[in-house]
Amino acid sequence: MSSLTYRLLGVLLLGAVLALSTDAFLTVGNLLNVLRQASLIFLLASGLTLVILSAGLDLSIGANLGLSACMAAAAIKSTGSISIGIAAGLACGMTIGIANGLLITTLRLPPFIATYGMLWMVYGINYWAMAGNTIYGFPESFREIGSGYLLGIPIPVLLMAACLIVGSVFTRYTTWGHEIYAIGANPEVARLSGIPVRSRLIMVYTLSGVMSGLAGIVYLARLNSAEAGIGEPLLLPAIAAVLIGGTSLFGGVGSLSGALVGAVILTLVLNGMNLLTISGNWQPLITGVILLLAAGIDTAARNWNESRA
Amino acid sequence: MARSLRRIPGIAWLLASLVIFFSVFGTRFASAPNLINIGNQSSILLLLALPMTLIVMTEGLDLSMGAVLGLSGVVLAMLLVNGNALPVAFAAALGVGTLFGIANGVLVVALGMPPFVATLGMLGVAQGIALVLTDGQSVAGIGSALPGIYASRWLGIPFAILIAAAAYAAFHFLLYHTRIGTYVFAIGGNREALILAGVPADRYHVLIYAIGGLMAGAGAFLLTGRMSVGHPTAAIGMEFDAMVAVIVGGTKLARGDGWLPGSVLGVMTVGVLKNGLNVMAVPSSLQIASIGLLVIVALLIDSFRGKS
Amino acid sequence: MKVDLAPLIEMRGISKAFPGVRALDDVSLAVSAGEVHMLVGQNGAGKSTLIKVLCGAHHPDRGEFLIDGKAVRIHSVADARRLGIAVIFQEFSLVPFLNVAQNIFLGRELRDRRQMHSEAARLLEVLGVQIDTHTLANNLGVAQQQMIEIAKALSQDARILVMDEPTAALSEPEIVRLFERIRKLKQDGIAIIYISHRLREVFEIGDRITVLRDGRTVASLNPAETSVNELVHLMVGREVDITYGRHFCERPGKTLLETRSLTAANGIRDANIQVRAGEIVGLTGLVGAGRTELVRAIFGADPTTHGEVLIDGTLLTGGPAHSVASGIGLVPENRKTEGLAVIRSVHDNLLVAGLTRTFPNHSYRFRKAFGIVADLIARLRIATPSPQRLARFLSGGNQQKVVIGKWMNAGSRFFIFDEPTRGIDVGSKAEIFSLLDSIVAQGAAVLMISSELPEIVSVCDRAYVMRDKAIAGELQRSQLTEENILRLAMHHG
Repeated sequence: MSSLTYRLLGVLLLGAVLALSTDAFLTVGNLLNVLRQASLIFLLASGLTLVILSAGLDLSIGANLGLSACMAAAAIKSTGSISIGIAAGLACGMTIGIANGLLITTLRLPPFIATYGMLWMVYGINYWAMAGNTIYGFPESFREIGSGYLLGIPIPVLLMAACLIVGSVFTRYTTWGHEIYAIGANPEVARLSGIPVRSRLIMVYTLSGVMSGLAGIVYLARLNSAEAGIGEPLLLPAIAAVLIGGTSLFGGVGSLSGALVGAVILTLVLNGMNLLTISGNWQPLITGVILLLAAGIDTAARNWNESRA
Repeated sequence: MARSLRRIPGIAWLLASLVIFFSVFGTRFASAPNLINIGNQSSILLLLALPMTLIVMTEGLDLSMGAVLGLSGVVLAMLLVNGNALPVAFAAALGVGTLFGIANGVLVVALGMPPFVATLGMLGVAQGIALVLTDGQSVAGIGSALPGIYASRWLGIPFAILIAAAAYAAFHFLLYHTRIGTYVFAIGGNREALILAGVPADRYHVLIYAIGGLMAGAGAFLLTGRMSVGHPTAAIGMEFDAMVAVIVGGTKLARGDGWLPGSVLGVMTVGVLKNGLNVMAVPSSLQIASIGLLVIVALLIDSFRGKS
Repeated sequence: MKVDLAPLIEMRGISKAFPGVRALDDVSLAVSAGEVHMLVGQNGAGKSTLIKVLCGAHHPDRGEFLIDGKAVRIHSVADARRLGIAVIFQEFSLVPFLNVAQNIFLGRELRDRRQMHSEAARLLEVLGVQIDTHTLANNLGVAQQQMIEIAKALSQDARILVMDEPTAALSEPEIVRLFERIRKLKQDGIAIIYISHRLREVFEIGDRITVLRDGRTVASLNPAETSVNELVHLMVGREVDITYGRHFCERPGKTLLETRSLTAANGIRDANIQVRAGEIVGLTGLVGAGRTELVRAIFGADPTTHGEVLIDGTLLTGGPAHSVASGIGLVPENRKTEGLAVIRSVHDNLLVAGLTRTFPNHSYRFRKAFGIVADLIARLRIATPSPQRLARFLSGGNQQKVVIGKWMNAGSRFFIFDEPTRGIDVGSKAEIFSLLDSIVAQGAAVLMISSELPEIVSVCDRAYVMRDKAIAGELQRSQLTEENILRLAMHHG
């Protein structure tokens, strides 16, 4: 059985436990809620998966989400056009992504430092630009992106599915996807095999940035308001989702479908806590513990594999 | 003359230029009260930057320091509110910090987890616990003993600055005059050589992270004294400032190449930069951005220098 | 200086086998106090293994050690050190940002720092070295670092010093000084085992010589009783056991690879070589001669500073990507770290260099991919239960075939092999050579680095010999003998 199957079983198991623990779980409304929450984390985690596949890291995705959401909000308010707003959000995300890519490839900064520094710079700019204000009240058609339905399915969930399909096609059915796996598995071998490592790395960081921007737009549409720092609490869940899904921090191993399952598992845990009226204060702690567990398993597996090679 | 000028590290030039710039363009930057203000605010940062220097020298980092400081402060405050004596509460804060430090060390050294994810996870755990304990609120009513100590002066020197100076002296001694310090250089510079020499390198490596946690607990003492409350997220981001200070101060990310005095200069630079921008009425949010820019500029300069 | 004391250290009947290869076979060695004992032999003769056994890093399968005539056990590095054995490897074990005294006393720091420094200074003085003990190891030159390593050994009361290619990174005047110090150490009764490829040194400073060949001691001589020629002969004269017969290239085709005055940052100087279609050209020389550096420069893996590389008449610029696209394939020496991604499957490894070529519109078609992989596996007879098997589980020979297959998929016309049969069992070696033969039979060309001289002689149409990072000479088919190769490779050194 593949590792993905194990994880899907985990989802079912978790679902079963929750269904047995509380009546509120197995309702259509709650399940849709879970999927909607998971989709937001997944949008963020999808770009991050690509980066981690290349043996890199992007710590700036939360800050990116926040700034992109605020840029989109400001653009919609000032021009009245939704399309311009969406374009602004995506452009913001993309710019941050490109900046990360350049810092890492041209300046040879280690990814965690480059994206960590970027995180603070982006937060700073975000707080400064918003100056403590909140932008709220957006057109109905825009808010559909976050809270609307299409064929009975919440639009964020459809976006998640679309993202999964496009992303999976990218990783499995294009040469770029295979090159990224190669780079993550062994960057030197990839280079010596003629793969243009630098430009592919810029590509993954740019994609991660764009996905953060998209996530920001969806978040904005759902919350119907934007203020500085809204992406802050989403970084850890995104990383946790990627790791739970089986993507290895060390690169070269993993998948987008895994990240989706990881996002669902994480959301189920948090949802379960909610339903069992465990205070929301426990969520960061549980997320942190889950992150450590997932990373620990990843590291232990790698150690074990290396000792056998 | 030219040769001795070149020996002055770049950070000193940067610090000097910033001081001159802000003295000229900022009103009352160079006044005595303001400079003391900078000193006070930088003291806590120095407490974090000192162990961070050691950690960076061994090719690691600790993203959890700010959260651990916050949690220690919360524990400290809660114990005080509960009526416990100050020394007991202080010991508890130190204990909490050290515990997290050891946890970091075990994850990184024994398990082999990449430092950023291990300490990132611990950041979540520490912040999570603090959040659960306080429900997101400040812990007030700690009495006047601690704030009183913080506000005290000895021979005209504020308490915080004295503590920072003492901490520096302790770390300087540790790094340059003890076996532990020697092994810090060795773990970063040539770990195999240390193991071949029969030294249990792992133990010392974990100790380095434990010291980081301990200092976070110590920092909580000062911060809680300054704020008169314990707040879970009060120190978020301080670990970043500490890393910036260390890197800008000249400690390299590899090979055990560290310079403790540089970290002091780095802390002062960060403090001057923030304070100066404040004086010039630049919003604090942009200050954060500029700190991020600072480290990138420093690393850029470093890579150019390395090439020449 | 003639010493006729009982040997200080003696190794008797040491045997050590690794999977597939017998590294040491009944080796014996005896060194007296104050004697410099030279250990010579070709790459792979067993010198490094013997040293590792002596310093406790490897356990011998059979054999015994005697120190001062008494049997001792060496089970660990600590044991060896306690017995007074110290090895100075080529990669020094110094901590860059600690000072000289701290490095010497690493792990055994003295409480009194001043005493530590004066003790360190005393040790250096004994060696006749002038270095301020407060200097950081990072700021020392290679020769000085070596002195610190020796001082470190002496401070641990080493009585037996093993030096592995000590002059490899030294300049002439530094070598002279090193020898002076070695003579001083001799006077102090230290036994020295000295490994070297530079036969001139053997005669200059050696008291006795042991020649290893194929893991066996073939001779133990006094320098006065022998000559460079005889040593070369002893090092080389093996029974040719290679069972590969090649049809040599009668009519080479056009020039596929040409380098002109190639100079690179890694040390290569002014290299001019040519390889024509249908040829297998050897590239050989001693360890450190620059062979791998040259091929990395040709491939673009390391930057070049001067000169040109032309592939089929086209000038190569840029890095590996351009080389690969132009039809060069590099099969590196470290196949597990530079040739394959061991955590990926055979399938993925086979296709990784030919992705753009196989799928020009960037669309990865699995049907086509499976077909290509199946074809390669069959053609190369790669033994794997399935193409999805991770590369790390394949044997050395099959891993090598995967790397070769990778380049075939990339459409390479010019193949560079760096030690193609290292770590591969005899049966697979013949297969690899047969593969090389069929590759060039189809009009491609091969440049092959090998330290195994019989391979070069029996497989290559001609060979370039390198020495000190430059081409020392070229040998045509008729001149291609092991002795000629060694002579070119070691002439000065």
